[in-house]
Amino acid sequence: MSLLQEEREIILSNEYVDTFDFAEVAEFVKNASKDLFISHHFKKKNKMLVQPRGGFPTYKKQFALYEFFVDANVDVLPLTIDSNTRLNDYATSKKMLRLSEENDVDMLNGYPLVNHGYRTTRKMITNFNKPVSLRHGTPDARLLIETAIASGIFEIEGGPITYLLPYSKNFPLDKAFLYWKYVERVCANYSKLNEPINRESFGPLTATLVPPSITIVIQLLEMLLSLEEGVKSFSVSFAQQGSMNQDIVTGAVLKKLAKHYAAEIDCSDAAIHLVYHQWMGAFPMNKDYAEQLINMATVIASMVGADKIITKTREEASGIPTKEANAKTVSNTQYTLGILNGLPNVVDEEEEEMLTLQVKAIMEAVFNDPADTLWRKVFNSIKNGIIDVPFSPHIINHNNMITIRDAKKNIRIIKRGNVPIPDRCYAYDKAQCDLTKDTTSIVNDIIHDIGIMQ
Amino acid sequence: MKVVTGVVGNDIHVVANRLIELSLNARGYEVFNLGVNTYLEEFFDAAVETGADVLMISSLNGEAEGWSREVKLLKSKYKNLDDIIMMIGGNLVVGTGNAEDIVPRYKNYGFDIVCHQVDLNTGLDLLETFIKDRDTKESNE
Repeated sequence: MSLLQEEREIILSNEYVDTFDFAEVAEFVKNASKDLFISHHFKKKNKMLVQPRGGFPTYKKQFALYEFFVDANVDVLPLTIDSNTRLNDYATSKKMLRLSEENDVDMLNGYPLVNHGYRTTRKMITNFNKPVSLRHGTPDARLLIETAIASGIFEIEGGPITYLLPYSKNFPLDKAFLYWKYVERVCANYSKLNEPINRESFGPLTATLVPPSITIVIQLLEMLLSLEEGVKSFSVSFAQQGSMNQDIVTGAVLKKLAKHYAAEIDCSDAAIHLVYHQWMGAFPMNKDYAEQLINMATVIASMVGADKIITKTREEASGIPTKEANAKTVSNTQYTLGILNGLPNVVDEEEEEMLTLQVKAIMEAVFNDPADTLWRKVFNSIKNGIIDVPFSPHIINHNNMITIRDAKKNIRIIKRGNVPIPDRCYAYDKAQCDLTKDTTSIVNDIIHDIGIMQ
Repeated sequence: MKVVTGVVGNDIHVVANRLIELSLNARGYEVFNLGVNTYLEEFFDAAVETGADVLMISSLNGEAEGWSREVKLLKSKYKNLDDIIMMIGGNLVVGTGNAEDIVPRYKNYGFDIVCHQVDLNTGLDLLETFIKDRDTKESNE
């Protein structure tokens, strides 16, 4: 028996799992409907796929949410997991699920997939026969993704960097890399049976003034870590940044470099997709304004040429959205996509060149780390600040990079810390900003820059 | 002057915490930032270890209220912390409340300066005034 299979048997002999039947699950994936695979829909490429967010604790409510989404003409269904499951605390999620079922009050902020189990969940997924995307935030997602794939969920979001640096203070990063290696291998193995399982990285990170070069570098590295384990379908992603031009430039550079670096490791046969998140920062309380913001994000996603858009709702500022508000966003977004025709082709060569230089310099510094494997190089690079994510709560992150917005609302680096931003690019970024102010005014500007959409 | 700061409890909201660090540095303080998700013991341990003059605790989700009830008891177990300036700020209740009720309550918990939904620079000005007043009082004695 392979080491991976031994590890799988240990993971799946968890007391919260009701006997995992490996052979039956493999048979299910092999014969599953192509419609359940988002990789299959990407191949057909008719239009930008629309995917909302959403997860409720009980089967009944999740089922009802999916009915609303299907009525609103959804392309991809989400399954958002509750925060106890994300931290592998299945005992608490079990208790809270029971309370939610008995009292008709939601005691969890998502669907506790491990507690429901794959036999139950599969009934729901196959009933709707739409691709489902797993949304979580789990550093150790081994049991979760085994359960997800067995349920018919063939897109897995996350990664060792993007699900750790924005969400955790002190979960060990080296462990996260190893746990995600397991996830990649399991996805790669199942991909041989039918259409490929799609992996998606979480580009928004902290959604707080992250410069595009850091976003792109992390997208590329998670893509490489995934492809080197044999994954054949991967989505890189980023969120609306605040400047339409910067979004278009980011999308163009990300697409080009994803192809470039995949080819460098002889993985050109893997399909790479681009996902765009509607604004992930602080939302306006005014629900009509929120709808305008959402609509604008859809227009930008089209300009960027995204393969999939992930939506927000008009209730974003006030808490977990109702299924009605969530479905409304889906139909509004589909409407906007349907009437967006004859888009201009915008190319900003100077900005593209600057961003490409930044990304390549950081990637080169990562590759030059003396460690023997890619994940160790990336780990060391985060530890020594070559990769630095603004506003990450994690203790390993340096937090020495400072970014602000220029007059056109582009995110610019005004202090690079240990990140090897080339001098020319650094001077260019700083030249766009007013740096004559004292630190107190700059801090006030940062506060303003974070809240620009409110 | 040395300041130990951080976000109390299981609160992971990091943005203001970073801005507090930047602003304190700009005002010339030596900052020891414990970051988010910090327990009271860790604050007091760090204050002893660094010889801090100020302990500045913040809270966004309001869970400070629960933790603050233990401040006096816990602080009394440490030596050398009698002169430390205790400051707390952010959203100091879960849900809504008004400052007139909240400030005296927190002063009772053992804080010298209490800022409920006060903006960052106003709060830091309050700290400066407090330090100045205390120094004049001491030199008069």
